[in-house]
Amino acid sequence: MNTTIVAAKSVIAVDIGSTITRSLFFDVVSGKYRFVAVGSAPTSAGAPHFDVTEGIWRSLEQLQYITGRVLLSEKDGIIIPGTPDNQGVDIMVATMSVGNPISVVTVGLLDTVSLQNARNLAHTTYANIIDEISLNDHRTSSDRINMLTRKRPDLIIITGGTNNGASHSLLSILESIGLSSYMLNESQRPHILFTGNEQLQDEVKSGLSKISKLRIAANIQPVLGKENIQPAQKEINEIYKEFRNKQSGGLREVLSWTEGTFTSTAAAFGRVIRFLSEKYEPEKGVLGVDIGSDSTILAAAFNGEETLRVFPGLGVGSGSAGVIEKNSLELIKRWMPIELSDQKIRDYIYNKSVYPCSLPLDVEQLEIELAVAKQAIRYAAEQTVPDLPKQLGAGGTLLPFMEPIIGSGRILTLAPKRYHPLSILLDGLQPTGVTTLALDQNGLLPGLGAVSEANPLLTVQVIESSTFLNLGTIIAPLGVARPGTIILRVRVNREDGRSFTRDIKYGSLSILPVELGEKVSLHLRPLNRFDVGMGGPGKSGKVNAVGGVLGIVIDARGRPLQFSLDPEKNRKRNEAWRKTFSKYE
Amino acid sequence: MISKVKHIHALTSIKRERVLPVAGHVLVRRMQKVSPSDVIVVAPLVSQFVLMDIAQGLNVNPARADELLQRQAGEDLVQGDVIAGPVGLFKRVVRAPQEGMVRIAGEGKVLYEISSPDFELQAGMEGTITNIIPERGAIIETKGALIQGVWGNGKTTYGVVQPTSNDLLKELVVEQLNIGFRGAIITAGFCRSPEVLEAAGIVPVKGLILGSMSANLIPLAKKMDYPIMIIDGFRETPMNKAAEKILIENKDKNIALNAQELDTFQGNFPEGIISQSSTSEPDLPSEVETLKAGKKVIIINGPQAPQIGEIEKIISGKQVLSNGVETQLAEVTLANEKSTIIPLTNLEIIND
Repeated sequence: MNTTIVAAKSVIAVDIGSTITRSLFFDVVSGKYRFVAVGSAPTSAGAPHFDVTEGIWRSLEQLQYITGRVLLSEKDGIIIPGTPDNQGVDIMVATMSVGNPISVVTVGLLDTVSLQNARNLAHTTYANIIDEISLNDHRTSSDRINMLTRKRPDLIIITGGTNNGASHSLLSILESIGLSSYMLNESQRPHILFTGNEQLQDEVKSGLSKISKLRIAANIQPVLGKENIQPAQKEINEIYKEFRNKQSGGLREVLSWTEGTFTSTAAAFGRVIRFLSEKYEPEKGVLGVDIGSDSTILAAAFNGEETLRVFPGLGVGSGSAGVIEKNSLELIKRWMPIELSDQKIRDYIYNKSVYPCSLPLDVEQLEIELAVAKQAIRYAAEQTVPDLPKQLGAGGTLLPFMEPIIGSGRILTLAPKRYHPLSILLDGLQPTGVTTLALDQNGLLPGLGAVSEANPLLTVQVIESSTFLNLGTIIAPLGVARPGTIILRVRVNREDGRSFTRDIKYGSLSILPVELGEKVSLHLRPLNRFDVGMGGPGKSGKVNAVGGVLGIVIDARGRPLQFSLDPEKNRKRNEAWRKTFSKYE
Repeated sequence: MISKVKHIHALTSIKRERVLPVAGHVLVRRMQKVSPSDVIVVAPLVSQFVLMDIAQGLNVNPARADELLQRQAGEDLVQGDVIAGPVGLFKRVVRAPQEGMVRIAGEGKVLYEISSPDFELQAGMEGTITNIIPERGAIIETKGALIQGVWGNGKTTYGVVQPTSNDLLKELVVEQLNIGFRGAIITAGFCRSPEVLEAAGIVPVKGLILGSMSANLIPLAKKMDYPIMIIDGFRETPMNKAAEKILIENKDKNIALNAQELDTFQGNFPEGIISQSSTSEPDLPSEVETLKAGKKVIIINGPQAPQIGEIEKIISGKQVLSNGVETQLAEVTLANEKSTIIPLTNLEIIND
């Protein structure tokens, strides 16, 4: 029976994460798609099973137990499509993030142009760049051949030359790549993705197709200054699938269950953020951040233009050591409201990286984990923001105006206090202007992204079913003043006609008491030429807002947040911010 | 709840794959007994190539250079052998830079592979070859003690195990590192001083097995020439009692120390193997088991780590810890008969 996803009623979206495999069940309830339940189990992609189906099967067993719906049959496995007596599921989609990152060599002509395109492309998936080749590196052809045969990358991304542009320089680099591939055993030859000057495609095909796993995508930079990353991104996702298929058993089975609707978690996450920006056409961009055990994903989209960055080895479990190694202990410590020795913090972080499933036992350990999460997101944001469109909002190293910002990841959803996820996202991302922080409390975003292309209706209806928890409306004025200077006057008009006014001082973090779900109208009057996104510095305006878990948060601490060289001062400031939040817990 | 099994066994069956990432020549046969230094497979692991521009060297165009080539792909040469030429008034030639082989020739260029000594992959442990993996390596099996760690500095060795004291509770200090430990794989409770790692390198010891270590020593430990394996984690606590007992009881016996870097996805853990002759045929250890009453467990996080105890009962439902985290707990009786409550996520099963 051939069932299309649009006609289908029930959908299971499986996400094979680095530690947990989750099966999300969606079905039609009262005429609309709704998220029904989730089952989870330890991921079995790696040792000792090396078969993803074990974890999927167990997560489905749990889902079956929770929902009471028969999904599995000893004889036939997963029951697809569903039967008239409500057994099984009509459609299954899958996403995956588990596995060691793909090792990539990027190739381009100029460091700041085509090589940057190649880097951006590599960072859309779970990849580590292990070397780069460009005209700026002065290695000989022999050196390049030796580098490639020694490092044996999984993937070589070749960019360079606008269409009808440079070709000779790129061809000389291609010679080294071809020779090195030829020298490797067939099983070790890298995937090659050519996304450069389209005039060279025939030459690339004739030179490389027989000695490598070659894929060709449209030029990533067809004309100077315009990046066209999506065609190459699709190819990267196909390569990711092939690569994972080789690493973990059971993926062929998953592909048969999903009829090929299988993608990387990051790609699906990026897709749903892009989908939101297309569907709702917000004036600002939409931002999503997913912080996992091993990796962090940041996805931003402006009217369908997506910027996706994946940071493998940067997370709150096995990736927590990466947070310290990519940053420093001091950058993590600056987020902590309690005093702990450097050794205690460092030891805890490295222990967490070798025992990623272990849980914090006391407040001290919890504070370390929250600080690691903040710094992981901060690092990801600092790396990503320069690549976002500059026309909206703050620009430079500050986050542009975004609406909404959605956070995902177990450190956010399982945090014990309601202010923890808001505090992590607020400090890590440091949004500007007026925005809403929301929490993907059931971890649906990758699943919704995987479904969205084939069944956008499901994605829309589930998103509109209050699946995201509104953490709070954030107002973050931009500007510089002396601490204590009044920089913003806010008038809050409630629906019942009551109103109140607050003067906001620079350096403060305040919460306006608005109930969860309460609709209010805000009149914002920035002073001292501060900018709250109402059309420029000093411009006033009205915005409608809805109270979140913590009401409405006014973050006048400045952008970017400034820290003292004195750790004790930072600790006290964190303590004060924490007190502000905990009052409304 | 399913838990990983931490492998600390006084006697178990051990099966390891020793393979190269490239094709090579396997030197062992099935059922052959091997010692750690026996070579399993050889291969030119790291080739060095030179791309020679023959046309430029002979000062002719590429087509003419191809006509002047005297060698074909696959030909072995010694240093000074003529690859192309002679040409011109001065009988210009291009010669082999070192002993090696022409790999590709054409379009005025030659890709020349310089001969390099083969990489020899050693068995790394005592045992019997039970299977050959064609061109890549072999499976080795043995019986003996197995101690799995959580961190290694990427090096391997084989030698005599020497505890630095009668128990492995204490910190390893410089004063303990005397000449008597030269060439030994020493074991101790924990280490927090960089001077100790440096002094151990001066003795020199052959390897170091610690219960725990301060994480700030990681960069230095990676630089040390000798293998270092951490069994329990990063802190300043004595070695867990199960591993301590095995290492003390096997004093002066040979241990194969593979302090490889942890890769949980591939299932690569640092480990020490002490092969033993035994008439019993223990099973291969299981990798995962269900946490339940009666199971022996090791605590992996918190002030009670790395103590070993037994699960008295799994407390039903989720409970709230002092920090607000909700999780499922187990009541665990420790070796001192005291009972403690630990999250299931902070336990690993141990079948010593």
